[in-house]
Amino acid sequence: MIFYACDIPEDLYYDIERDVWIRFDDDVAVLGMTDVAQTRCGKFAAISFRDVGKKVSLGKTLATIESAKWVGPFPAPFSCEIVETNEIGFTQNILLANKEPYTLGWLVKVKPTNLENERAHLVTGDEAAEKYKERIKELKINCLRCID
Amino acid sequence: MSQKIRLLYMEGVSPLRSQTVYHAVAYAMKEDTPNTIIMVSPNAPYVCIGYHQDMQKEVDLDYCAANGLSVYRREVGGGAVYLDNGQLFTQWIFHKDDLPSSLEERFKLYIDPLVQTYQELGINANHRPINDVHVSGKKIGGTGAAQMGIAEVVVGSLMYTFDKKTMSKVLKVPSQKMRDKIFESLEAYMTTMTEQLGSTPDRAMVKDLYTKKVSEALGAEVYEGEWTAEEEAMAQEIDARFTSDEWLYQKGRLQQPGVKIHEDVHIVEAAFKAQGGLIRVIARLREGRIDDVSISGDFTLLPSFALGALEQSLRGLSATPETLKSKIEEAYYRLSIQSPGVTPADFTIAIMNAVTPPQPA
Repeated sequence: MIFYACDIPEDLYYDIERDVWIRFDDDVAVLGMTDVAQTRCGKFAAISFRDVGKKVSLGKTLATIESAKWVGPFPAPFSCEIVETNEIGFTQNILLANKEPYTLGWLVKVKPTNLENERAHLVTGDEAAEKYKERIKELKINCLRCID
Repeated sequence: MSQKIRLLYMEGVSPLRSQTVYHAVAYAMKEDTPNTIIMVSPNAPYVCIGYHQDMQKEVDLDYCAANGLSVYRREVGGGAVYLDNGQLFTQWIFHKDDLPSSLEERFKLYIDPLVQTYQELGINANHRPINDVHVSGKKIGGTGAAQMGIAEVVVGSLMYTFDKKTMSKVLKVPSQKMRDKIFESLEAYMTTMTEQLGSTPDRAMVKDLYTKKVSEALGAEVYEGEWTAEEEAMAQEIDARFTSDEWLYQKGRLQQPGVKIHEDVHIVEAAFKAQGGLIRVIARLREGRIDDVSISGDFTLLPSFALGALEQSLRGLSATPETLKSKIEEAYYRLSIQSPGVTPADFTIAIMNAVTPPQPA
């Protein structure tokens, strides 16, 4: 779905409150910032990741992002252990998430540690699209991507 | 928005506490914590670096040690800055839902009372979006934003004075020439209340004025309060973290070409090895144009006066390779410049390396 220039792929899961997308791949989940989140954050200036192997609780910080005007956390949509970060990708191009938030701009890969009890708030498909439409209207946002 | 905003007024705290206090109030915030504004100034000068900066790369630590300046890392972004009692930091720690969701609107809400305070003092300040306050093209204080715990934080300052000379000395820069250029640019593009008014306004009066403007802007009562035992305990915890080597010396990740003077003005430096020698460039960029440029190096360029003329001819130009090369070639022709092993294309590359540093492969 594309709504006010914001791309919300229906095949992903979302933690809408935290603006995180999730792609489940067997026992690993790939996480990143949604188009809405990267637009609100603005062009990345720097990112620091928690260490691989670190166990992080629901809502706690997986990485800290600095944009031109703001510093804030990339939060965990469920309790998990970090198994890989995209540090190399962001070292080569700090704007990855601003350009390709759902592919090259992934942030971390994690193993969920309590998913059964912490997935009720995750949405996908049409439900995600409808809820994001509401959120985009509420935020009065038009998504923007970096092209260089 | 809650109708009451707590004000914590803390003039003359330690340099460390002037930073940790707003982190502490933010991280201790709970659902029932009031939105809080802290007005704080340090009782001694210090240097503060941005969240992702590398202290050893950005700060002249020898100078700081010799002059008794502590260095602290904040959890707000941006660059290294020299701070002292001449600035009154105005720190907002608010619940997410009580601030606009867009950063542009959030900065506007935060900056409007600063601008109105300056204006009522007789200073013709205005909001230079997204997050600067300007007086006739000069910056009077910067701002930043962060999320800490459940709190949204916006920080900035009311600038009574600013020690530009010391600011230019605390930064680690590759040459004295670059340092001189930074000082010169701070003089040209930064200002303070004292400079604008000819004298320093009364601090109690400024506090009252700012509080009134905040109250009007937010439509909320501002009351002077105390911080809680829990917030103070959190501050002590953060004091310990902010003074730990692990926090201070963490590797920087912020790739920040040059030194930002304000939103539109940056000083950049680069070198390029041409066949006929090394070309060094220090340039001041203003809104994408070359405001000033110094070229030096170990190349030969004749006639001897031509280098200055070449620099002069580049001022005001749009910083694009085509424009620069064309202008340099014109100067070569006009002044009959000879520079064995160094071509107009080489100067163009050197300048463009400063303007847009080469990206890692």
